[in-house]
Amino acid sequence: MPNYLPREVKRRRVRFTTNRPWSAEFEKQNQFSHRNRVYVQPIKNWLFFKGDRVEVLHGRDKGKQGLITQVIQERNWVIVGGLNWHFRYIGKGEDTRGMLVRSEAPLLVTNQVSLVDPSDDKLTKVEWRYTEEGEPVRVSLRTGRIIPLPFAAEETHDYKDPTSYLENESKDTKAADVEAITFDPSLKTFEMEIMEVMDIKEDRVPKKSYFY
Amino acid sequence: MIQMTGVRSDLMEFFDTKKHWGERDVKVGRAWKIDELRLKSNEDLHKLWYVLLKEKNMLLTMEHDAKEECRPFANPERIDKVEESMNHLEEVVKERNRAYFLLETGTSGERTGEEFENWLGLPEYRQHEEYPVPKEQNKEWYKAQEEIPTSSDYEKKKFYSMLRVKQRKDARKGISAQRASVHETLKNFPDTDLETLRETAPDLTPVEFDKIVERVRSTNWENNEIPREIKMWNGQFVRRRQMTWKKKYGH
Repeated sequence: MPNYLPREVKRRRVRFTTNRPWSAEFEKQNQFSHRNRVYVQPIKNWLFFKGDRVEVLHGRDKGKQGLITQVIQERNWVIVGGLNWHFRYIGKGEDTRGMLVRSEAPLLVTNQVSLVDPSDDKLTKVEWRYTEEGEPVRVSLRTGRIIPLPFAAEETHDYKDPTSYLENESKDTKAADVEAITFDPSLKTFEMEIMEVMDIKEDRVPKKSYFY
Repeated sequence: MIQMTGVRSDLMEFFDTKKHWGERDVKVGRAWKIDELRLKSNEDLHKLWYVLLKEKNMLLTMEHDAKEECRPFANPERIDKVEESMNHLEEVVKERNRAYFLLETGTSGERTGEEFENWLGLPEYRQHEEYPVPKEQNKEWYKAQEEIPTSSDYEKKKFYSMLRVKQRKDARKGISAQRASVHETLKNFPDTDLETLRETAPDLTPVEFDKIVERVRSTNWENNEIPREIKMWNGQFVRRRQMTWKKKYGH
């Protein structure tokens, strides 16, 4: 028997990639600790969301516009659908040819991609501002036009957008029932009120106990 | 207010309705928010608690069943949603009881506790436990206290000093990591917003931060680039870090 306990040396700092953190590919990429650390430029107010129209400023598709399909905020990356792509083999081995696939490379939001003004489809600088109602909106600095958040940005694993969510009849509480106010304040504890409602009478005096 | 299925009160209540069996996707809404639960009466909360508890039992059974049969369990995040709702509900009930006791007795009515020095000499919090007799008459409690490991003052002091050394070492490591991070980020992205960058390095003093910024900005990284590895007379490659060490100490 070896005189040491079985240990698995794991990387302390993960390097985020285009693969999702719970996938096997991600785990494989993070197995070894020899890769250099990636320094990411801190961004105070994030501007790029899924479904936004952007213009690419870098690479082979410079000057073309496309829609954001994926946002990887850990690396300041966005992936623009159908742009900045290359061919790559997957599953290539000594005796297998592998499969040729088209894969899109990520682009840095800081200098490789720019948002587009919806009024004239030309690139612009954008800032977060507040409307008179106090709602935060993205405003194009060139024309002063509001750039609305795309519908795709609201998508979760439950719904495409909150208005299109269909209630599960057997599981969900109705919205009207959730909003209904039934609370009536009274000078009772929770237990006292429940006992009253359920008609439980308790006259016995509990024996004295000590806490320490 | 809450939709309830008819009472079946048999073991099949631990399973989902047959409609959902073997489905890949059972979509449900979000968890109850704490502000929504604050609107509900105690009676409603009491009912809702048991609805949630039954749902949780059902989900755990279904999960176990799926594991046994080697099938995927549809939407496992439902368990998290139910647990979140139950935690929020418990918090609301505690809040109401606390308000009652504060008004009536001036105390929160919750279980008391105290901070004490444990056998390592570190402060630790302990909740009080309920006993039928006071401490002075409780022989068992005193016996149990004797079994807790003790240490001398010397040992405590020794342990504490070593702990402090470790803590200081960790703190230093954190500071140097932040320094490196500021340096490298500025080097790679010269137009970084300094205020945002400063927030990422909270342990650095403003003077130290400004010094790093000045150092990075005064260096012309394009022309005056230091090679990462340098070939020595015996053909070995020496890394840059060793070169700086040589420059520093002259040998």
